[in-house]
Amino acid sequence: MLLFIPTLIGLTVIVFTLLHIGGTTKLLAMYLSPRLTGAARAHVIAELDAKFHLNQPVYVQYFYWLIQILEGNWGITNTPLYSGPVTQAIAIFFPNTLILTIFAAIIIWLVSIPLGVHTAVNRDKPSDNAIRVASLTFYAMPWYLIGVVLIIIFAVYFRILPIAGTVNPSLVVGLSWYHNGISYPTHILLIDALLHGDFKVAWNAFLHLIMPSVTLSLGVMAALIRLMRGTMLETMDQDFVNFARAKGVPEKVVINLHAKNNALLPVVTNFGYLVAGLLGGVVVIEDVFSYPGIGMWLTSAMLNNDMGGIMGGTLLFGLILVTTSLFLDILYAKIDPRIRY
Amino acid sequence: MMENRKHDSSPIVKIENLHLHYYTRRGIYKALNGVNLEIRRGEVLGVAGESGCGKSTLGRAIMGIIPRNAAIVEGKILVDGVDYLKPLREYFKKAKKFKPTKNQDLLKKVNEEMSKIRGQKISMVFQEPMTTLNPLLTVGYQISEVLFYHNPGLLASRRLARARATKEDTKNIVKILKEEGEGERLRQYLKNRNIMGLEDQIISIWRRKELHDLKKEQMILELCCEPISSMARGYLEQIEKTNSLPKFSKLPIVGRIVKRELLKEAFKKSAEFLGLLGIPDPDKVVYMYPHELSGGQRQRIVITTAMINNPNLVILDEPTSALDVTIQAQILELVKELKEKINSTYMFISHDLSVLSEVSDRIAIMYAGQVVEVGPKSAIFNSPKHPYTQMLMEAIPTIEAHELKGIKGEVPDMRNPPKGCMFYPRCPYAMPICKEKRPPLFKVGEDHYVACYLYGGEKK
Repeated sequence: MLLFIPTLIGLTVIVFTLLHIGGTTKLLAMYLSPRLTGAARAHVIAELDAKFHLNQPVYVQYFYWLIQILEGNWGITNTPLYSGPVTQAIAIFFPNTLILTIFAAIIIWLVSIPLGVHTAVNRDKPSDNAIRVASLTFYAMPWYLIGVVLIIIFAVYFRILPIAGTVNPSLVVGLSWYHNGISYPTHILLIDALLHGDFKVAWNAFLHLIMPSVTLSLGVMAALIRLMRGTMLETMDQDFVNFARAKGVPEKVVINLHAKNNALLPVVTNFGYLVAGLLGGVVVIEDVFSYPGIGMWLTSAMLNNDMGGIMGGTLLFGLILVTTSLFLDILYAKIDPRIRY
Repeated sequence: MMENRKHDSSPIVKIENLHLHYYTRRGIYKALNGVNLEIRRGEVLGVAGESGCGKSTLGRAIMGIIPRNAAIVEGKILVDGVDYLKPLREYFKKAKKFKPTKNQDLLKKVNEEMSKIRGQKISMVFQEPMTTLNPLLTVGYQISEVLFYHNPGLLASRRLARARATKEDTKNIVKILKEEGEGERLRQYLKNRNIMGLEDQIISIWRRKELHDLKKEQMILELCCEPISSMARGYLEQIEKTNSLPKFSKLPIVGRIVKRELLKEAFKKSAEFLGLLGIPDPDKVVYMYPHELSGGQRQRIVITTAMINNPNLVILDEPTSALDVTIQAQILELVKELKEKINSTYMFISHDLSVLSEVSDRIAIMYAGQVVEVGPKSAIFNSPKHPYTQMLMEAIPTIEAHELKGIKGEVPDMRNPPKGCMFYPRCPYAMPICKEKRPPLFKVGEDHYVACYLYGGEKK
């Protein structure tokens, strides 16, 4: 469990190294106006050198940088989407991504666990084969393709779901808690709308969440169904499952209590990492659906050579992974009595 | 009930010409090839044989716990006269090509049908105590399950009795116990007061040896005036009367309360039973997880689970093979003790003849999916008839120095077994007829049968 501290240190070292591969000139370029020349330019450079300790050895700079990070100064970002402190950008864009990921995670869990159990119990039957083929198809399809196909079917052809964005702009005109595409206080439109009792906006925000989160979940779902099926088949051959049958416990209880719970153990671990990995998929999906989340901000940061944004985003993803694994460890100890820390 | 069992002379299990084949990718393994065997009420039948000869498959087939690729080709198993595997056999006869998925559907039905008698009339102890218990559930719960699904009436009546009994009652009970012990008068008193559910609770406390009498008295005095919510009470009374569980899904909140009451009671009963088996601190053990117990303890838990409902037949599938010798002896002692206490029938499967000589009344020797010799223990040990049994006896290691003789050759490939006698390729007395025809069981002595043409005169 305490492994997460060295992991964090390793993570920051890598991020810092990346920052330095970019070179100090890049850093300077961000703070230096190109119009400055001569003595004034030299003066500003000297000031920045002192500020970022650029005259010190690299490992000393690392600690200065680390202190800055801990103090909450994650640098600045300058993209067409947003210009300002990185922490501020994260506060604006991350909540959107968070709710998208949570929705996707809920869909994944609710669909893949029962389907995995169903396929294992009805092994080699038509329904098992159909689910396996379908899930493999989705697994093989790239995310953006699924997204585009869904848009064509549901938004263009049937016109039942919105194409892009987080909300229908005409609904939020003149709302006291909504400015410049940012809602207050949580920055999550769905929750803010519910907090303010505006159910029309909330429903609209919910409709906007459906397609991105379904797209996000389909690929991962396939992996999880297969994993659940595999572990379930393995557990159903175990002695304790047969013993439960020998005790005369009804078959339903044998499967749902004895077999399923044991089969879930490895699935829970993988589920956590898959969900953390969804954040990688978010980068693509948010672009497809023009959904203003962390992925869209990161894409635009990369396209605009925005070091602050890239570093901040990388560090954030790393932090999320580390926290997820910490959370998983705790969860695992909760469900498996054999594990004690 | 007990009197009934003694008078009923029909065998509890009768296996007639059972053929069971496993369909695998590498071919059809003919695991059982015409097993004829009966298990008589009240006896301990030992089943011996090399590994891979089908002993465990036979035990599991009686329980109906077979994998989906197991085909019942021919023959039947009658458990108390009922042929549970009939649908599987009929499917195999009808089907042009054996399909595990179809077999699985039928197996599901068989499971459903048999789950009513498993744990209640027949139960089984598995070989490997390390893997037989579910690692995520407390051992108490795993024992309680058997009581909860098969004997809810007992649990309800135990619980209700504690609610009905008054302080006066428990005082009288202690008085009766002191005067006459646990006799007819106690039963009569409990019956008159409608608190029969207290009987086994009282007795289990009274029989404990490690407690002082005063402590026991105090514990019995506490068995009263435990209130239950009036909602749950009605359902408990209904369960007591019908001894079957109501549909809990139809009564969401009350159902939970009732279920919890029953499980709590089952935990209590489990702890009492464990105490009877001499497990220290049973009240704590029931709340432990399997990984907190040693192998011997776990096997005791498994045996408890199999025995707690007083089943008519217990199949012990190599219960001692995975344990070290001292624990093995303790478990054997336990089985013998239970045999005294609970009048039921046992099928004891083991590859270890010395273990079987300890516990069994009759012994069946299996070879390559067939019973080759069956008879009383003394006959099998003193005058083994089948060449395989004879060679098996010579292969038992003893303390005195004597030359150990292995049996030359190997068990035949079960995908392609010999046409005639299975033992023919390894038999020193093989005759031409052995190669052509499988020998039936010949009678060679009192209740002693052998499948070998050396004794082929009088047919069974």
